[in-house]
Amino acid sequence: MAELTYREAVAAGIAQEMRRDERVVFLGEDVAAAGGVFKATVGLLDEFGPVRVKDTPISEQAILGAAMGAAMTGLRPIAEIMFSDFLAVCWDIVANEIAKSRYMTNGQIECPLVIRTANGGGSRFGAQHSQSVENWAMAVPGIKVVAPSTAADVKGLLAAAVRDPDPVLFFEHKSLYATKGEVPDGEHVDTLGTAKVLRQGGDVTILALAAMVPRALSAAEILQSEHGISATVVDIRSLVPLDTQTILSEVVRTGRAVTVEENPRLCGWGAEIASIIADECFYDLDGPVIRITTPHIPLPSADRLEDLAMPSVGRIVETIRTRVD
Amino acid sequence: MATKAKKAAVPPANDDIGEDTRLALFRSQQEIRKVEQKAYDLFLQNLIKGTSHLALGHEAVAAGFGVAMRPDDYTFCTYRGHHHNLARGASMTGVLGELMGRDCGLLRGKGGSMHLTSAEHGVMGSYAIIGAHLPIAVGAAWSAQYRGTEQVSVCFFGDGTTNIGAFHEALNMAAIWKLPVVFVCENNLYMEYTPIRDVTAVENPAGDRAGSYGLPRIVIDGNDADEVYRAAEAAFAKARAGDGPSLIECLTYRHSGHSRADPATYRPAGELEDWLKRDPVPTYRARLIEFGIAEAALAAIESDVSAAVDAATKTAMASPPPADDLLEADVFADGGAAWRN
Amino acid sequence: MDIVMPQLGETVAEGTLTVWHRKPGERVESGDVLFEVETDKVDTEVPAPAAGILSEILVPEGETVAVGTRIGTLQADGEEASAPAAKNETTAVRIAEKVDASPAMAERAEAAAPPLSPVVRRLLAENGLSPSDITGTGSGGRIKKTDVQAHIAATAAAAASPSAGGRPDRDIVPFGKIRKRTAEHMVMSKATSPHVLQAVEADFHRVAAARAALGDDWKTREGYTLTWLPFVAHAVCRAIADYPHVNASVDGDALVVWRDVHLGIAVDLGPGGLVVPVIRSARGRSVADLARAIHDLAERSRKDALTADDVTGGTYTISNSGAFGTMITAPVINQPQVAILSTDGISKKPVVIESPAGDSIAIRPVGVLAQSFDHRAIDGAYSAAFLKRVKELIEYNDWVTAFD
Repeated sequence: MAELTYREAVAAGIAQEMRRDERVVFLGEDVAAAGGVFKATVGLLDEFGPVRVKDTPISEQAILGAAMGAAMTGLRPIAEIMFSDFLAVCWDIVANEIAKSRYMTNGQIECPLVIRTANGGGSRFGAQHSQSVENWAMAVPGIKVVAPSTAADVKGLLAAAVRDPDPVLFFEHKSLYATKGEVPDGEHVDTLGTAKVLRQGGDVTILALAAMVPRALSAAEILQSEHGISATVVDIRSLVPLDTQTILSEVVRTGRAVTVEENPRLCGWGAEIASIIADECFYDLDGPVIRITTPHIPLPSADRLEDLAMPSVGRIVETIRTRVD
Repeated sequence: MATKAKKAAVPPANDDIGEDTRLALFRSQQEIRKVEQKAYDLFLQNLIKGTSHLALGHEAVAAGFGVAMRPDDYTFCTYRGHHHNLARGASMTGVLGELMGRDCGLLRGKGGSMHLTSAEHGVMGSYAIIGAHLPIAVGAAWSAQYRGTEQVSVCFFGDGTTNIGAFHEALNMAAIWKLPVVFVCENNLYMEYTPIRDVTAVENPAGDRAGSYGLPRIVIDGNDADEVYRAAEAAFAKARAGDGPSLIECLTYRHSGHSRADPATYRPAGELEDWLKRDPVPTYRARLIEFGIAEAALAAIESDVSAAVDAATKTAMASPPPADDLLEADVFADGGAAWRN
Repeated sequence: MDIVMPQLGETVAEGTLTVWHRKPGERVESGDVLFEVETDKVDTEVPAPAAGILSEILVPEGETVAVGTRIGTLQADGEEASAPAAKNETTAVRIAEKVDASPAMAERAEAAAPPLSPVVRRLLAENGLSPSDITGTGSGGRIKKTDVQAHIAATAAAAASPSAGGRPDRDIVPFGKIRKRTAEHMVMSKATSPHVLQAVEADFHRVAAARAALGDDWKTREGYTLTWLPFVAHAVCRAIADYPHVNASVDGDALVVWRDVHLGIAVDLGPGGLVVPVIRSARGRSVADLARAIHDLAERSRKDALTADDVTGGTYTISNSGAFGTMITAPVINQPQVAILSTDGISKKPVVIESPAGDSIAIRPVGVLAQSFDHRAIDGAYSAAFLKRVKELIEYNDWVTAFD
């Protein structure tokens, strides 16, 4: 085990796959010589050279189009979209082209590629550089959607995404880049579509994703020590495919479900999960499913307002304490 | 009229193209013309549902590039793409069957007219969002360059595409990475209903932009299969030599409206008649006879193609609709649509 | 700050707001009684949580609401001054409420009967249980999944072994037959009769003198201690002759006054519950006779050897907590009777003795006699007169003579 930062785990995951497979290439804005604006791809240009690690113009459609064209003709590209907000300028390539080509062509065209992007708030960047857009992605049939919360998961799930025959949208969380965690030595490959149970309690099941996972864990500690409420915390990790088996069995065990979502409330991922829970384990529920989300607003920039908007440890504790009996 | 096609050039005595190639160009144009006419008939019989964008009038562009391409080269085209699929060898049954939503269709009814694809013939898709496929064609060219295969990626699009961002992003990226991609603008004077010159800052929407990406201005008669073929050969040679992309504007004209729903009443009186005088299909036939090819040989090809189109139509009409279980097939690589366990 | 209906006991789900001691706009000091609550367990005066102005009353007098329901607002002194610190939290909570809670749910949570969750409904149906079988431990007394599971586990465990299973933080003690009947009876009684409690202090020195004179002999002869209780029972029977309406039942719009006294004696069986066997035709019996009858019933109660006749037909009941030294007990009426007397601890106290020669202080055994009566049947003056009569008999009877 080595301790890596989340950002180091990104580079480690890409490097592991580039060493293994000549078909893996990597492109994006400022990713090569500069090592990425979040310094998540430092060292790749040195190791793999400019033919495989490519700086691009500020051309998000060209970046993803190039990745798609390369993927359908035999390569395994990894493309970086610097901020997930910028997916909006190339959403055509994601939603209309990459996602649909296999189905529309009756399986003739396949796009085994990974789109990495820095997602989420907490960095005081304002409304156009802070969004959590994972729910946009999961609304489009044909793409897989992953959002890791730890360094180990970054490396393992990134490797799994590169090896997956389907296109994967890989949401890294900006506010987690500096966090550290143990990462297994040697080749590390995880499995897409698997949630992780991080702790088990008897009173309530908290379902969280990405940066909301460490907050859910902190809240669970406080709920246990100060309020005698014992919580299960599940890291969803993958929205598509969704590990409903783990989610439902953990909800059934406690009879209570709480989602902690950074995305704005309407049609956030928790809404789909709440719907599945209502549909499939209603008679195991011991109270309403509760969603803790960012309000349906663009994220403000001021630290005080941004902190108020995003689900905080305090809000998670307070909501569960007052609404889960 | 601002943009007028030039008169077909008379070939030199020792022609660079050769009779076999000319017959191939002739056959390809015949196939496209007759399949598109059949498609129009099938619309009228309500056997083709939805929308469809015919390429009547664009035959020379597709034939010229199609004949010039290597079998492993890539074609990327738009929703007006029947002709490019046929020019690469996609089956008529597959094309007509797809238009009619039959199981024998190229995509077994899952794509339809606007998404014809035949990967085994190098047609990597027909893209119905303007501009989207230019960057994708760039990616295929990047892949060919990376793998060192000397394949060329050929990307066809209309005049309207030259005003969307993806066009410029793709041209720039292809130029800076010297990618083996050939961008082919089929300038038929209209985007959908609006004349392109009314909404574009330059006279030749593609040709006049080439300089922005360090490329030579190439504007040719898109109704002359020979001229198209020559332009294609030159661009492919450049691409395979590692000298980067080309942007070729082919002046042509569509004989029908934008789509099935469009009677094209916006065209000025006499414009269609003028262009029909330079219809690429009969023009090319006359040229081959002028070059001494026997009329009977051409007639044999024509009747051969007609028979093939009739047979394909019959086969396609007899084909059942796609099986219900296709509905949720091939969303993901595991063959299904499951997004959860 | 919000004033909420307090939880006046672990299993109390709701309370009736009986009295507001302040009107809106009036000032209250911290610790002053602000309002009174009546529950099925207790009646309580609730002090103000802080000094300030009662700014609004949300639940009027007489209304019954769930525990935790906001019943009013107190503008506490200095609440404004500390606003900046509190404000962020308030806003955060407001945001959280707006974002995360549906108002409809919030309103429903305040409604009287907490709804049953889907899993609780399913578990009840699968196990043939009724919500009334289960004690809810959730907010507002809501029955939780774990409550049902605990009930099922306890029932199963009780069937298999005397010790009940359950969660590590609690032991589940299932109600036995008598406990269950006691519980039901108590709830029914409280729901039926408006209880009023009155108490008098009685000087037991003459009784003490009789016990001192006769007790040893009694113990030797009978084999058990001569207690205070038969003396009280004797006095009660004689007082009933003067105040017969305490020996009665309510029947519709009429009071049924019994001519005979069948005296119920509450016997504690430990955690299992309580039985009230009856001394038939107690009036006219001697103290010794009553002592033997009481002993006999208590013995048979503890041996579970009572017959149905032994426990039915009582007309008045005495409950005795005296052995534990309690000062006063507010007993629950044994329906369909209309009054019940509690005797509590008798201990030596200084007592002022009035005499023509002047007041003097004596050390006397003193105990409280407390009667709960059904206000539908009789009024306070009548009850008080009855109690006064009992007290007089205790204090002035010549018990040695009256013993046999």
